[in-house]
Amino acid sequence: MSQTTPAVRTFQDLILALQHYWAEQGCVVLQPYDMEMGAGTFHTATFLRAIGPEIWNAAYVQPSRRPADGRYGENPNRLQHYYQFQVVLKPNPDNIQALYLGSLKAIGIDPLVHDIRFVEDNWESPTLGAWGLGWEIWLNGMEVTQFTYFQQVGGIECYPVTGEITYGLERLAMYLQGVDSVYDLVYSDGPFGKVTYGDVFHQNEVEQSAYNFEHANVEKLFGLFDFYESEANRLLALDLPLPTYEMVVKASHTFNLLDARRAISVTERQRYILRVRTLARSVAQSYLYARARLGFPMATPELRDEVLAKLETAE
Amino acid sequence: MSVQDFLVELGTEELPPKALKSLSEAFLAGVEKGLKEAGLAYRKAVPYAAPRRLAIVVTALATQQPDRVQTLDGPPIQAAFDEVGNPTPAALGFARKCGVELAAIDRSGPKLRYSRTTAGQAAAQLLPDIVNNALAELPIPRRMRWGARKEEFVRPAQWLVMLLGDEVVDCEILAQKAGRTSRGHRFHHPDEVRISAPSTYAEDLRSAYVVADFSERRAQIVKRVEQLASAQKGKAIMPAALLDEVTALVEWPVPLVCSFEERFLSVPQEALISTMQDNQKYFCLLDEKGRLLPRFITVANLESRDPAQIVAGNEKVVRPRLTDAEFFFKQDQKQPLESFNKRLSSVIFQAQLGTLYEKAERVSKLAAYIARQIGSQPEYATRAGILSKCDLATEMVGEFPEMQGVAGYYYALHEGEPEEVAKAINEQYMPRGAGAELPSTLTGCALAIADKLDTLVGIFGIGMLPTGSKDPYALRRAALGVLRILIEKQLDLDLGQAVNQTVTQYGAKVKGGMALTTQVLEFILDRLRARYEDEGVEVASYLAVRAVQPVSVLDLDQRIQAVQVFRRLPEATALAAANKRVSNLLDTYQGTLPTTIEPRYFDNATEFSLFSAIQQADQAVAPLARERRYREALARLAHLRDPVDAFFDAVLINAEDPAVRANRYALLARLRGLFLGVADISLLG
Repeated sequence: MSQTTPAVRTFQDLILALQHYWAEQGCVVLQPYDMEMGAGTFHTATFLRAIGPEIWNAAYVQPSRRPADGRYGENPNRLQHYYQFQVVLKPNPDNIQALYLGSLKAIGIDPLVHDIRFVEDNWESPTLGAWGLGWEIWLNGMEVTQFTYFQQVGGIECYPVTGEITYGLERLAMYLQGVDSVYDLVYSDGPFGKVTYGDVFHQNEVEQSAYNFEHANVEKLFGLFDFYESEANRLLALDLPLPTYEMVVKASHTFNLLDARRAISVTERQRYILRVRTLARSVAQSYLYARARLGFPMATPELRDEVLAKLETAE
Repeated sequence: MSVQDFLVELGTEELPPKALKSLSEAFLAGVEKGLKEAGLAYRKAVPYAAPRRLAIVVTALATQQPDRVQTLDGPPIQAAFDEVGNPTPAALGFARKCGVELAAIDRSGPKLRYSRTTAGQAAAQLLPDIVNNALAELPIPRRMRWGARKEEFVRPAQWLVMLLGDEVVDCEILAQKAGRTSRGHRFHHPDEVRISAPSTYAEDLRSAYVVADFSERRAQIVKRVEQLASAQKGKAIMPAALLDEVTALVEWPVPLVCSFEERFLSVPQEALISTMQDNQKYFCLLDEKGRLLPRFITVANLESRDPAQIVAGNEKVVRPRLTDAEFFFKQDQKQPLESFNKRLSSVIFQAQLGTLYEKAERVSKLAAYIARQIGSQPEYATRAGILSKCDLATEMVGEFPEMQGVAGYYYALHEGEPEEVAKAINEQYMPRGAGAELPSTLTGCALAIADKLDTLVGIFGIGMLPTGSKDPYALRRAALGVLRILIEKQLDLDLGQAVNQTVTQYGAKVKGGMALTTQVLEFILDRLRARYEDEGVEVASYLAVRAVQPVSVLDLDQRIQAVQVFRRLPEATALAAANKRVSNLLDTYQGTLPTTIEPRYFDNATEFSLFSAIQQADQAVAPLARERRYREALARLAHLRDPVDAFFDAVLINAEDPAVRANRYALLARLRGLFLGVADISLLG
């Protein structure tokens, strides 16, 4: 039951098709953020760019690491490292849903054949101090995308609102290719022959699962968490929100590793989440003021003046 | 009066399916309230609700608001003018408030009065605010903003249709300018839809593949699903909430039959049903014996060019979910059910009341005690009790919380526990809701009562009583559950003793001792009183029976049923009054009553007749009361009316001779004792 159009046969075709589509819509096509992170939302192109009045439209693939989700390469659906394709549009255009549906057509999904539905699903990230409302998109009953209108990020009200679209690439590809195991996905198929997702990533899943669950150095990681936190606070005082933010991302990933090692008790867990959230809030504030000092160069004059005026009154 | 039809349709992005129906109802209520407050008459208002729209069609709406006379009352005349007739500050203030000179104010009545007439406005001018207010008051837990706007709603607004007759009502709501173009089905009809008039709204949309009427769409789904199910020789499970949710997820419902592999049928079907309903919104099918069929029905939102692809897609989605359920089932069975108690030793039931394992131990003992009282086997109850919470630590219940009890039942059966024990593990949670099924086994009854009493006593014992609408441990439901089981399963249990037993085995964990027992018992019996009130039983009947303090709720119920019948007898009123009189007399008597009645002190024929009537009644009623044939007992006691009346007419109770007087009081005490064997009839007056 393959629905694939000739253009989107392989995993990399899917990525290329989505990049091409969103580039045509006017997005900045970025490359992945070069650090370990749990989701595309952690990329500065989403988390920080969602703050403040500036216009921002971007699309990118983000490798996402969830140490606790590893299954040593034995589960056909669960991975500790996978890809998200992320699109952010700010302010979200009125036709953002139509644009999204256009992307499905671009990868060969005919909406007059398949049952596509927007089903309520709201998003909240306690670690990021962020929440939004939206949907998961069902393709014949399968969730293939998360769609969120950000309302708050790092404790700051989002104005204007960023629309975030997150495709689960492996899932979507498994559907398009009609395979039941992620490792059977055809990653590329050209003159050099066929390469599967398993060829590319299976060994990585096995070894990284062993590291995440068995060998990650708990004592050192606890120390690193404290170090990243104190570095973040030091850099914050120097008004350097971008390096600060990288420390927050490192702290967050360190926490996830400790969690996978089951080194954090249920009660302690809440405390660690709170520590990351506190950092996320501070860095969000710091970034907002840094952009304000630059005069929000990418905002429309009206929005820029409105938000600057509001910030002044707040001070 | 001129009238027109009115249509408002707010187009949005997909609304939350669980809230759609209530949003639609609230929108209708808000608009109707607004129309009434504005004095705009109409014939009827019909709501429409689909994933991308909320609409209302009002028929025969008055196009013009009637003129309105508003009358304001001011200070009394005496306070409005001084002795020489000059206006006081109060009078001047009133005129100012009315916005006129004092001369324009009517002073002919006892108070100053001003009437002003406000000219009625055109409906077209009032409707925007009415709609706006109704939208602002919708019950939305979290509103959102979108784009660079400041408006807030459930989801972004996309268009607005507002027509009065065939004219657009000129306005802007939620940043949408009202017009006459709606939108059809996302994919079947991507173009705009022109609505010619409010009366054609539903048909215009139907031609664009949208069934806008929620209940019509719901009925369509039911009909088609039933057809498809019967073609599969099955019956679809369609819980109302799921049906509403599915109805709220589609504009153009197309139910399709899908299949899953038969091997999954070895997993408890409750788990399969739960994942298919909750996660995928599917309707499951049962055969005529209530066994799950390897089929489900999904309701698609379009007439696909290739429905087989939708079917195949849904089948692909459900496979990993069922595989998970199967995996948990197999995994859990790798260890004995009882061994899960080890994990429960570190799971808290309630911080001050200890772990779930401790609860299981208490429930086990209490269930055995109750089993002895109700004539069931205590060893079954003990066993079921100790296993009762084990499934809470299993993977299955961790993934599907609604499987609690059900999973335990399957695992216990699998391990060869007696069926009675296995069933009881599931039945401990019964009744699972108002009017829901009760335990079928006596062991299940004992366990269900024990579990509920343990929670009631524990939570009361640490002072966390339910208040108002706050009842986090569902204590009211627990109390009602205990009552329903005792009454409907006809179980004789001394509830006071059972509660006392529960208090005792908590030891130092709870505070209050006997007072706690009384408090919990009162709480349960108050639920009973509320239940009788709901059933239309007079409070007096309840109080008449409570007064004789039956130890068992079942006994109490049987007496109440008998009193209800007794009250309809012609003799009832007179006997109630006589009992009241007797009760009052006895209260005033000083000294000790003689234990026997001596006919030699009688000096009146009516005394002899009453005494002999009492003796006969006693002989007849005693065995009836013993067998709890209270209805017949009271019917027999009704015969006493004539001799009692005659006695009171002819005899002076407080005779001069103390021996005669004491004898008469003794006779009355005997009479009263007869009635009190069933209920305190004196309270029925």
